[in-house]
Amino acid sequence: VALTTRAASAALSRPRLPTAPSLLQWLALAAGLLAALPLIGVILVALSGPGSEIPLRDLLRYAGTSAWLSLLVGIATATLGSLAAWLVVMHRFPGRGFFSWALALPLAAPAFALAYAYADLFDAAGDLRMWMRASLGFDWPFEMRTISGAAFVLSFAFYPYVYLAMRAAFLSQSVAALESARMLGCSQREAFFRAALPIARPALGAGVALAVMETLADYGAVQFLAVQTLTTGVVRAWTVFGSAAGAARIALPLLVAAFILLWLERRSRRGRSHDVARVQWRSIPVQSLRGAKAAAATLYCLALLTAGLLLPIAWLLANSIGRTPELARLAAAATHSLSLAAAGALVTTILAAALALGAARSPVASRIASLGYATPGAVMAIGLLAPAALVWHVSEGLSAFWVGIGLLIYAYAARLMAAALEPIDAGLSRVTPSMIWAGRTLGRSEAGAALAVQLPVARGALLTAALIVFVDILKELPATLILRPFNFDTLAVIANNYALDERLGQAGWPSLAIIALALGPVAWLSHRIAASRPGEAR
Amino acid sequence: MTWFKVLALVAAVTLGACGEADRQAERGPGGGEVNLYTARHYDSDLALYEQFTRETGIAINRIEGRADELIARMRSEGARSPADLFVAADVGALWRAQQAGLFQPVESLALAQLPESLREPAGHWHGFTRRARVVAYNPERVRPEEVDSYEKLASPRFRNRLCVRSSDSVYNLSLVGALIEAWGEQRAEQWARGIVANMARPPEGGDRDQIRATAAGICDVAITNSYYFIRMASGDDSSDRQLANRLRLAFPSLEGRGSHVNISGGGIAANAPNRANAIRLLEFFASREAQKHFARHNNEYPASPDVPPPPPVDEYAGFEAHPMPVAAFAARQPQAQAIMSRAGWR
Repeated sequence: VALTTRAASAALSRPRLPTAPSLLQWLALAAGLLAALPLIGVILVALSGPGSEIPLRDLLRYAGTSAWLSLLVGIATATLGSLAAWLVVMHRFPGRGFFSWALALPLAAPAFALAYAYADLFDAAGDLRMWMRASLGFDWPFEMRTISGAAFVLSFAFYPYVYLAMRAAFLSQSVAALESARMLGCSQREAFFRAALPIARPALGAGVALAVMETLADYGAVQFLAVQTLTTGVVRAWTVFGSAAGAARIALPLLVAAFILLWLERRSRRGRSHDVARVQWRSIPVQSLRGAKAAAATLYCLALLTAGLLLPIAWLLANSIGRTPELARLAAAATHSLSLAAAGALVTTILAAALALGAARSPVASRIASLGYATPGAVMAIGLLAPAALVWHVSEGLSAFWVGIGLLIYAYAARLMAAALEPIDAGLSRVTPSMIWAGRTLGRSEAGAALAVQLPVARGALLTAALIVFVDILKELPATLILRPFNFDTLAVIANNYALDERLGQAGWPSLAIIALALGPVAWLSHRIAASRPGEAR
Repeated sequence: MTWFKVLALVAAVTLGACGEADRQAERGPGGGEVNLYTARHYDSDLALYEQFTRETGIAINRIEGRADELIARMRSEGARSPADLFVAADVGALWRAQQAGLFQPVESLALAQLPESLREPAGHWHGFTRRARVVAYNPERVRPEEVDSYEKLASPRFRNRLCVRSSDSVYNLSLVGALIEAWGEQRAEQWARGIVANMARPPEGGDRDQIRATAAGICDVAITNSYYFIRMASGDDSSDRQLANRLRLAFPSLEGRGSHVNISGGGIAANAPNRANAIRLLEFFASREAQKHFARHNNEYPASPDVPPPPPVDEYAGFEAHPMPVAAFAARQPQAQAIMSRAGWR
């Protein structure tokens, strides 16, 4: 496999014109620059003025908390997500059909909504713990507003990234490798650890990278849970010391860390392209679980779904049911959220596709364009103001409203490029060089072959990317907060405003509305991946 | 690629639709418009905006956000900023906006009615509501005279009995800023150390969470803004009411001259395109009627001492407010943060 891959990539690089960059490469360059502009903004701001007066000791503590939290979330999501995917793909147990797609649903719930729910539910002065102390005589030993509490909340919010990636990987794995492992005397469990998991490592890396980047960039949840991460330092430098430069400086090491993470993730895939186009499509040998094992599998999946979605929804409902929702305002905000999400998904996917196609041979460029995803929301807001200032100064005479909308959509593309790039990259890797060559031999240009061959083959991946970005924009906060035009609230903005004002009950309806809007696309996405094994009956 | 067409169509149609709606909202019934950047995002303020538009015909366009994000946005927008009026719920933010050169001074008879201590001397910004930083305590374990001064909160008698939120809170920063102004830096730092030693748990949550923790017996005393307690005690959440009713509100004094008060206030943007309308809106916020509205619905105190506070605030209005000009401690927030950080106040 390794041999053919290397030969293939050598072949890929040959038809390039030695002189001028092609149209595709220009497009990729433009997309990459657009995405990198806010980061350049952060660096410029960081160099622009004196730093903040936050003591180094505090900064180190914030950095340590960020690193520790990322590590905890990385380990937890990797474990929870991989195990769930392995159970669902390789085993038969009660509820498997339902769980196989439902386990991705927590992706629809914004992390900040989970934080509201868990912090309130397990608050020391909440009904639950008051009742426990009074009736049972003991207290819950686990505080939500701690680093482990935050790790708990974020892990259940983000494990679906790993689950989706791993399920797709297990579904497209070669049965031959598993059978070889079993023939060589491995038990089913050993086959998992020694064959399936190593083969799926790129998928695991991609899923965990997304979860960890989401953790680093998180804006609402960690702040609400009073865990002081680097974001705290950024906000403190900015708001107390009034120093945007100081805030941007705190973010620089974080950018470097994110870049290293992305680079490592990329590196771990090198030479490990277990080309799925060559596997033999036979049904995966599914093992039937019985008795206690079957019950444990069902319970495990049910627990994941409950913690990630059902319990928070129940809490939101219980707290909202007594309040009349302001339907007109919610409907307007929902329209805004939906239209921004649709437009943003479209633009981001097109840019990401251009980047993936044109920069296929320069992975560093696409890594840089992905950094926005791992940048703390507050820092991204500072960085976005730099390109925005340019636009504001040259947009004399244009409608301020449409300039604002344009900026927002651009901001989403810059922030969420990574979420679109990952699936598109994966999708494009299914296109074998010989397929592109066939297109070129029939007289297509490089761009023409991309349009006629690569994009249609990767159509599913494009759709996946668009839907992930769509759902992410529904939940997006920092860019929306700072760049939106007048009289233009989204559901996430309304929920956040209530939470800031310590009116959690009222944050319920807008949060539920986000989940309701996001559930459909997430469910559809999950179904699509379930049906993605070629040759498998749909 | 059909999916893309569908997505594009949806985006185009809905964006078009909401653009239409937006343009309608921007048009007032003939009196022009005013662009409001506000860090206040209380639902009850919306009714007030509507009333202003009804009375004057001036439509209000608003962007709500955190104060410092709005400041950063105004700075980026520069001379072309559409902002007319900037409103914040803490005097520190107003001071930072002034430092950034975002305000222009205004003179107005109506605004001059506001107490002098709540205005910037040159007229860059004006406070139109007051909020006191006070103490909620458990009357079964604490006597009122034990919490009648800020100093006593730091005394060893409250070791491991006090709940307070983190030093990131602008309300804590303003309080410590006022203590620095009154006592000097050294004594204020000692006080902060005393508070840290008295904490029943590391700071977590907002003011409401401190009140709830006190009601739950985790601590005996909580430092909080007045309106959170009043809202819990008289709001529509029955479990909050129950919790608040176990507690009392005390108004600690600074040097025997009254409790620390902060403001909500606003200033006219330096490049306001609708300057006259902006002044009218700020005057409207400072009107007796609006002050009463803020008190009734958001449980803040009216800025003017001659405006009688309506229920439910009236029950808690019999306290003395420290006469220190709010501008004096606004500038001390960075200093306060440094002190609290040294004292180990997370």
